Amino acid sequence: MTSNRRRRHIAAAVLLLSVGYAGASRAFEDDENCLMCHKYPMMARVTDEGALRSYYIVPEIFARTVHRNVPCRDCHTEIKELPHKPVKEGVTCNTVCHSLKNPATGQPFSHKVIYEVYRDSVHGRPKQANGPDADKPYCITCHTNPLYNPAEAVPPEPIVKRCVVCHEDRRFAERWYNHTSRRIREVRRSSAEIVALCSSCHGDKKFVERRLQQAKSDGRALGAKFPYAIESYEESFHGKLTKYGFRQTANCLDCHADASNYFKTVHEIRPSRDAASPVSAERRLQTCQRCHTRADANYVRLDPHPTSRPESDPFRHWAELIYSVIGNVVIVALVGLAMFETFGRRRDGVVWHLRDGSSWWRRSKRDRDRIPSPQGEPKDEDQKP
Amino acid sequence: MKLSDEARDVLETSLRQNRTGARERQEIDALIAGLPEDRVLLYKNVMSNPVGDLPRYSIHIRLQHMLTFVTFLTLAFTGLPIHFTDSFWAGPFNALLGGVNVTRVIHRTIAAVMIFSMLYHLATIILGPLRQIGLGKFDLRRTILPQWKDLRDFRDDLLYFSGQRPQRPEMDKFMYKQKIHYFAAGFGNTVMVVSGSSFLFPEFWASVLPAGVASHWQELMRLSHPHEALLALLVIAFWHWYNVHLAPGRFPMQWTFLTGKITREHQMEEHFLEYLRNLVELPEERRYLRELLDSRVLDAAARAPAAAYGADTP
Repeated sequence: MTSNRRRRHIAAAVLLLSVGYAGASRAFEDDENCLMCHKYPMMARVTDEGALRSYYIVPEIFARTVHRNVPCRDCHTEIKELPHKPVKEGVTCNTVCHSLKNPATGQPFSHKVIYEVYRDSVHGRPKQANGPDADKPYCITCHTNPLYNPAEAVPPEPIVKRCVVCHEDRRFAERWYNHTSRRIREVRRSSAEIVALCSSCHGDKKFVERRLQQAKSDGRALGAKFPYAIESYEESFHGKLTKYGFRQTANCLDCHADASNYFKTVHEIRPSRDAASPVSAERRLQTCQRCHTRADANYVRLDPHPTSRPESDPFRHWAELIYSVIGNVVIVALVGLAMFETFGRRRDGVVWHLRDGSSWWRRSKRDRDRIPSPQGEPKDEDQKP
Repeated sequence: MKLSDEARDVLETSLRQNRTGARERQEIDALIAGLPEDRVLLYKNVMSNPVGDLPRYSIHIRLQHMLTFVTFLTLAFTGLPIHFTDSFWAGPFNALLGGVNVTRVIHRTIAAVMIFSMLYHLATIILGPLRQIGLGKFDLRRTILPQWKDLRDFRDDLLYFSGQRPQRPEMDKFMYKQKIHYFAAGFGNTVMVVSGSSFLFPEFWASVLPAGVASHWQELMRLSHPHEALLALLVIAFWHWYNVHLAPGRFPMQWTFLTGKITREHQMEEHFLEYLRNLVELPEERRYLRELLDSRVLDAAARAPAAAYGADTP
């Protein structure tokens, strides 16, 4: 967690350097003057655990993020006076924004809908979590405060020009452009990024160990492949092709998230023991058929997480062992035969290179040599006196 | 040389099948009678052309070797980086041909070519012997089918290499090494085609196999494909290339796969029974052997070994 934060801070610093002050004139509106203090880069502290926490806001960068129009205290609700007291809970993502309205309903905007979906999933946890729940991800484990269209410093002029004919406020046109163009673009993570994200917890041996212990003490069964989810995926064709950047093969979410609405269902991952999960025994075939359209009831028996660990698949374990033994024995035996053959034929006088019509120019250890022709033959340096 | 019963039988079969006339029979008998008892002295003293003297492989076999050569290396090149994703060389190797988006197409296309060459070979080994039977020239011993004699040859060869037997056994057109290699390649190709098809058509295999077997089958295929490929690659690199490139007398390479011909000394050393058939079938080979026997005394006992080299060596 600590190193994650530090990484984010470093990323922010790098962004500052790269963006420079190009956008300085378009800083966000800071009606409550939070930047009075938070504009200072040294605004930071070291926690009791020894972690460095920066409270520095880079206005030029924040002004380009998706939350730039949200006043600070819409999310940082605990802050009531200035200078404010140390916060206890921090920002939770189910807060209702008082300043922003949902244009469709006219109601205050909130992430509450997706937050409830997430809280109901196997990953759900409160903001402040201790004990076993601390292993679960909170919103910010996967989502940061991303930049709008990082590749575009300013909205394209031909488009904005057209908008401002009627929407005379240029800033409205630019905001509207940013909002919609970001959503029209593909903002999903690539397959490789999804695998990397899931692996950051599920590939961590200590995490897996803690979850196994927890499940044991709770008396509940984890999925059969839970302990080797990542290594076995990487062993599969899906995993290998994904690693090479191939996009038409299954990543974690393609099977573990329901297909109905990607943006919603990735937040409601359920364990395979839950019948609603797309990888539950009841729904597995339907999930396979999303790509393998000809799959039948037998097909779901094929292992999408192959592993040779004896406790998971003894058949594969022994088969692999036997294959390895056979392979090694064959190679050693054949190389041995080749060396033995070389030794035997060399003793009888063979040379490496067939030249001047023969390969038998050396003297044999067995008293039978090539007989020199009466006309005389080219002398060979390999021939021993 | 007094031929062994086995060699005599091969020779008689060949004489009969070629309807050899009485005069030629006499000539062949005289030639064989003039050969030294120690066959080693014979092949040590012949002249060989490095690109080959005596016919061995038809154009079909050479084409099939070429097809196998090209498809095998291409398939290994495009397949191994997918199996060994974690290795440092896998990424660059894969990128050389344009990444998985390209190599997966190459791999499947070349696999189809490989299957074609297997079918081509099947046609050859069925139609070839049928033609020979039609001509009355078929001899089972001349084929690559394993026989008990191969076990004996293997034992005798090991005895020769260790110095406990004076000469190598009289082997036929295909010796034990070639038979092992041929059937290993045939078995390996079949394994690769079947296991490859279970990656390309997993739904098909799952639907035709019983429910209790489908998963085990798929796991076995997932193991077989890379293991067999790796084994084949290692056998090619460490054994086949040794036999045809690095072995003494074969270095730097044996040209048989291009010219279809084998050198005379190689034929006499490792395929003596086939050489006897060459004597029956090729009058020019008889002429060569006659000239050799007339020009040299191939009798080790007649001269002391040191004296033989005395003239040339210090």
